[in-house]
Amino acid sequence: MSLSRRNFIRQSGLAVTFTVAGRTLLLTPREAYAREMPFSVLDRAEVETLEAICDHLLPGAGENGVAHFVDHQLPLDPDDSLLFIKWFNVQPPYVDFYRPALAEISRACETVYGKSITDLDPSGAAALIESLRDGNVPGWNGPPPPLVYHALRNDAVDVVYGTMEGFADLGIPYLAHIEPPRAW
Amino acid sequence: MKNPEKVDVVIVGSGAAGSVYAAVFAEAGKSVLVLEKGTDRKLTDLYSSQIWARRLKWGAPHVFEAGKDSIWYNFNAGNGYGGAAMHHYGVWPRYHPEDLQEYSRFGKGLDWPLEYDQLRPWYDQVQADVGMSGDAEKEIWRPPGAPYPLPPLPVFVHGEVLARGFEALDLRTSPIPVAILSQDYKGRPACIYDSWCDAGCPTGALANPLVEYLPRATAAGAVLQPDSYVTRVLTDRNGNKATGVEYYDKTGERHEQLADAVVVAAFTVENCRILLNSATGNHPGGLGNSSDTLGRYLMSHPAVNIFGMFREETHCYQGVSGGQLFSQDGFDKDKGKEIFGSRQWEIGLGTKPNDLLGIAMSRAELFGNDLHDFVKRGSRHFGAMVGVCECLPHGDNRIELTDSKDRFGMRLARSTFNLDDYARNLWRETADLGVEIFKAAGAIEAWHSPPGGQHIMGGTIMGRDRNTSVTNEYAQLHDVPNVIIGGPSVFPTSSSVNSTFTAHAVALRSARHVADHWGGLLA
Repeated sequence: MSLSRRNFIRQSGLAVTFTVAGRTLLLTPREAYAREMPFSVLDRAEVETLEAICDHLLPGAGENGVAHFVDHQLPLDPDDSLLFIKWFNVQPPYVDFYRPALAEISRACETVYGKSITDLDPSGAAALIESLRDGNVPGWNGPPPPLVYHALRNDAVDVVYGTMEGFADLGIPYLAHIEPPRAW
Repeated sequence: MKNPEKVDVVIVGSGAAGSVYAAVFAEAGKSVLVLEKGTDRKLTDLYSSQIWARRLKWGAPHVFEAGKDSIWYNFNAGNGYGGAAMHHYGVWPRYHPEDLQEYSRFGKGLDWPLEYDQLRPWYDQVQADVGMSGDAEKEIWRPPGAPYPLPPLPVFVHGEVLARGFEALDLRTSPIPVAILSQDYKGRPACIYDSWCDAGCPTGALANPLVEYLPRATAAGAVLQPDSYVTRVLTDRNGNKATGVEYYDKTGERHEQLADAVVVAAFTVENCRILLNSATGNHPGGLGNSSDTLGRYLMSHPAVNIFGMFREETHCYQGVSGGQLFSQDGFDKDKGKEIFGSRQWEIGLGTKPNDLLGIAMSRAELFGNDLHDFVKRGSRHFGAMVGVCECLPHGDNRIELTDSKDRFGMRLARSTFNLDDYARNLWRETADLGVEIFKAAGAIEAWHSPPGGQHIMGGTIMGRDRNTSVTNEYAQLHDVPNVIIGGPSVFPTSSSVNSTFTAHAVALRSARHVADHWGGLLA
């Protein structure tokens, strides 16, 4: 089966709705990231933390718009949510999971490594992620660290590999019955 | 507000069981209203995407969990028309005779109030209704029954590779029995094997409620009503008879729908929650709970996914989600060494890169460029199968109400679930055997998942004795017979087989019985 990356990108549709100067824009998370579109739920510090940790969890997640994807999903009814965290029996609203998780990641970076997560080098980031995964972040006072690890890691996987573009990058056929109306 | 028109039957939930009840009662000339909590989903809404597939799964109200083991409620339950059967994989083996008489045969578990021969014709009828593919002769473990109406699904590279491991260990495999069409059937097209079953099958090749029983129900006059959140079953002054249900619409307005009979088919946890929340002075422990059995005997199949990397390309993104081959070698229950329970294998699972059962999650400890490398390799060389194990029913595994409430003031549910040592030992043995099979198949690497929970059963179990069960053999509450329960919550044992086929067969048997004895129900 032949694949056309250009077709996948063209067909992958648009993701996030923005109203700018009276105009409605529909953008993929990647486009929203590139155009620095505003966020509706997460603040700037939370966005920076989310993009940085997800880029360490799976390089490329940031530019694939992981923060816009999560931000777009957080206000939705839990029945309609497309977030991976849905599987882990976390009590909605999910913003009450993401917000303290991101705050604790940021705090842990400052207290353990003396740096913000955006300034953390790869080895420091790897150590932080391992401590999240293994549940031993010093002074942690948020949702269970392994749960945070799995949620953010899989958000990153979703935007990088769970899309039609992601399949194309892997060189495997998407085989859609009905193509998703947005990039995910 | 009280809805002006009383109906013969109000059905709570439009999933596997609710849709069967709706079709049977409507075709019997009854006025039927189906109240669905979720949205009015159509086949054209079923996008091929593991991310979008999450809309089909449960989100709210929240179910709290206690105990050592999760029942994975959000993953197993459904949301919207078709319920959990919209995202089920269509693997439809039958319960074995010994599954239904487990206590009598083995001194463990419970007995059903019916035997296999009483269920057999209903299995046969359901498979003829929806169209099943398989090979009854090669499926040597299969209990007696009519041959499958359609030949088996084709086996692709993924299945062929894994079959080598079974052959090397002298284990037998057969085509997998599935409610998926290998050929066109009743105007529905054959499967095209793109493995998006988990996201819902929009072509109708996989038998979900939108392609058979719900269309039959509406053709016979049943009305489906989405966004209708049922909170309680209402009863008369004496508590002897249900009079209808209370529900809230999308705007939050309260309604009472009167009916001669109520079918509660809202899946395992919600069935229990609705009945427990329906407590009155006549039913202080919840409706149908005079035996203190309501909510008890909660069960889920402990499952282990076996993963591997192979030298050859496996095309694991192809096929169907539920597997290409099947084996019940090892189904015998009494395995000695503190291991008890049946086991089956579903072999060659269609696997995509992301989501809970995806390639990336199979090595959940990897991150960074190691994860990139793994997913890239796995997208071409990955193999997957699942070993599904039995768990015995225990009264302490249960659904209860918490003090937390939903937005309508109804108490939320909590599951308490702990696997016993029999199930843990069985799971461990299955995990080890699965890895051995993969290595025998030539896997370069082979590993297994942590324990998962497939299917959710029990909580409103059927039985002969009203002092030890919630419903009779026709799924009617012992205490209030015009309340009928749909779905695997009525199962007294779990077996290790997927529950949806049996949920259909039990519902069809019960619905026909109630329809044929309607006068007695109303007396």
